[in-house]
Amino acid sequence: MSCRLAIAAVLVAAAPASTGAEPYRLRADALASAQSPAGLVVLQADGSEGPFYAAEALIWLTGGVAGGGVGDAGGDSGEAEALVVAVRARRAGSEMRLGRLVVTAGGLRPQHMDGASGRVRLPRRFALEAFAGSPVAPGGDGRDWDWLAGGRASRSIGDWGSAGVAYLHRRDNGRVTSEEAAADAGVQATEWLDLSGRAAMDLIHGGLAEGQATASARTGAWRFELYGTQRSAYRLLPATSLFSVLGDSPSRRVATTTRWRAAPRLDLFADAGALEAGGDWGELAAARATLRLDDRGTGAVGGELRREGVPGASWSGARATARTPPLAGFRVALEGELAVPDDQDHIWPWGLLAVSREFGAWEAAAAVEASSSPTEVYRVDGLARLTWMWATR
Amino acid sequence: MKTTTRPRVFALSLALAVAACAQILGFKPPGRKPFPHRAHVLAGASCVTCHPGAGQAGERGPLHLPDDASCRTCHQKPHDDRSCLGCHGGEWTALDAMQAREHLRFDHARHQGASRGNCVRCHAGIQEAGQNLRPAMAVCVKCHEHEGELAGRACDRCHVDLAEEARAPESHLVHDGDWLREHGTRAASSADLCSTCHSERFCGSCHGTEVPALPARLAFDTPGQASVHRAGFAARHAVEAKAQPGACQSCHQPEACLGCHDDKKVAPTGDPDDPARNPHPPGWVGLTSGENAHGRAARADPASCAGCHGGAGEALCVSCHRVGGVGGSVHPPGWSSRQSMSDLPCRMCHPQGAR
Repeated sequence: MSCRLAIAAVLVAAAPASTGAEPYRLRADALASAQSPAGLVVLQADGSEGPFYAAEALIWLTGGVAGGGVGDAGGDSGEAEALVVAVRARRAGSEMRLGRLVVTAGGLRPQHMDGASGRVRLPRRFALEAFAGSPVAPGGDGRDWDWLAGGRASRSIGDWGSAGVAYLHRRDNGRVTSEEAAADAGVQATEWLDLSGRAAMDLIHGGLAEGQATASARTGAWRFELYGTQRSAYRLLPATSLFSVLGDSPSRRVATTTRWRAAPRLDLFADAGALEAGGDWGELAAARATLRLDDRGTGAVGGELRREGVPGASWSGARATARTPPLAGFRVALEGELAVPDDQDHIWPWGLLAVSREFGAWEAAAAVEASSSPTEVYRVDGLARLTWMWATR
Repeated sequence: MKTTTRPRVFALSLALAVAACAQILGFKPPGRKPFPHRAHVLAGASCVTCHPGAGQAGERGPLHLPDDASCRTCHQKPHDDRSCLGCHGGEWTALDAMQAREHLRFDHARHQGASRGNCVRCHAGIQEAGQNLRPAMAVCVKCHEHEGELAGRACDRCHVDLAEEARAPESHLVHDGDWLREHGTRAASSADLCSTCHSERFCGSCHGTEVPALPARLAFDTPGQASVHRAGFAARHAVEAKAQPGACQSCHQPEACLGCHDDKKVAPTGDPDDPARNPHPPGWVGLTSGENAHGRAARADPASCAGCHGGAGEALCVSCHRVGGVGGSVHPPGWSSRQSMSDLPCRMCHPQGAR
């Protein structure tokens, strides 16, 4: 861990020194929870030198984040994790990134890695991207011979679209765990219609691992989206897993999302569709409304009704949210949900009341959260956050 | 008397209700009104009457917004002692103009020729709306194609620092609709475009291998945020995971389930005397096909099996499903793979390449 933080420090220190004209930003968030108990400090920093060079870092310091914290970082002892530490050089549409970073390339899943990523513009609107490095392992325990490499070739089509193909090869402990080829495309077919899609093919077992296609239409106060997704669970597992040889019935979802700006401050949304899991089809339906209480939407009230799931795993629910406009820097927020699963006798209520206030570069927030879930009859938690931001030019 | 009063009360109530709704819904916002540009133009005032010197303004310098003194050159007998722009002008108009000056490289003087001195060519609609002084970017690209800048992601030719500006695009790259679902597809084809505004850590905050708290959890005082795990997710997660096989594995390692369930003390103990913590229903495993619900469930969501039985736990499956075992082949019809029989996981059930 100390080695990683040392690398982080070196990379941040490698960021060009201030010239007094470029922005440098620091931010620290400290989150404390009464339950677990848990504490979390998030440190962020970035700076740039002219338009071409930039450096940034995001570091987590956790103490006893056990279950209450979302994610995989369990453990009762304090840990430090450098999530992103990267330097970037950019010139004329080409760029080079180095450090711990998240790589997205075409239809491939995002990869979190220690390594390098580059992009170069070529004539005739072509572009090439390449990346290579060591995948970040959970718990920070990387193994020898964990590596990944890949790239993407793409081309812009006029000023109305682009398309690309990508490839990824990943090995854990020297063994192939993933080999994917992907394609992506997006076009603005007309002034009011956008089409986009991506698909990732599993080259080890042969077949579609994950795909999504969307058509979005907008006119005036209306926006309409039709989308479909398909995901094959066993192809998303490492190929070294025994469960990757089972085959599966892919999960699918076909649905529409409609938004109507009914009034300058009132948005209405409706979702409707169908989803499939394990060969069973279910439904997806939701209606929600958001009413902004001021022109900037800093205050708002909202409500939502939702129904989704497949036989054996479906639920219905209602949700309400409210946040007041800032009153002398003071805000109050309220959010609640009632979820009713179909095949259980219980309901799962959840609610949160939060207050926050800004003091110049500081912001303080506190909340009380209460819920009931399948694992706890009731749970009451206190949350507190202190934020400090600093920037210079 | 009564017959004439009742309709009036009803009409008055209706008018009040409509006015209240109009204000609440934003048709007629309460408080300060947008500046009546149209009325001034119709009265014969040109733009530079109130904004003197705006046409010669460079990238820096004063904003050329009018003050009370400039109003009083015409309105010599104001109806009120308070500041004119305290009521006659949008609440955010001056602040928006100041931010535009700070965050944009724009020279009014250089645009005088092309616009032929007609401010409305860029500030289109200002007469009617009267609110937004800053034209949308769609107005800029009507004349400036910016093809090279857009292709080269050279936004800094006009935008001083997009990250610092923190302003959502209004007329291009609009993050509308269900952006949480759609952002991956958009980022797939133009990640470099995303990076003109969003920093690396913006992606890492959710897509990092280890994320102790999602951004929405950190911002608990901002309700209704779009997040992959919306508030209250802990109660719903088992149902949602079952309805979307593989969705969890898009981000989480399979073993994440067991790690968290262990922490919560809800993981199965393997103790037959503790059936309450056995997640499998009766008839899960048996010697006849009718008693074997686990096979269909495993095919529906193999990742959920791997969540508990991955790693060393895979030996449990191999004991029955190895070649020649009582469980038979686990492969679906037409199964094919490029993996070698001598590699993992094939060699676990196919010793010495047995078929």
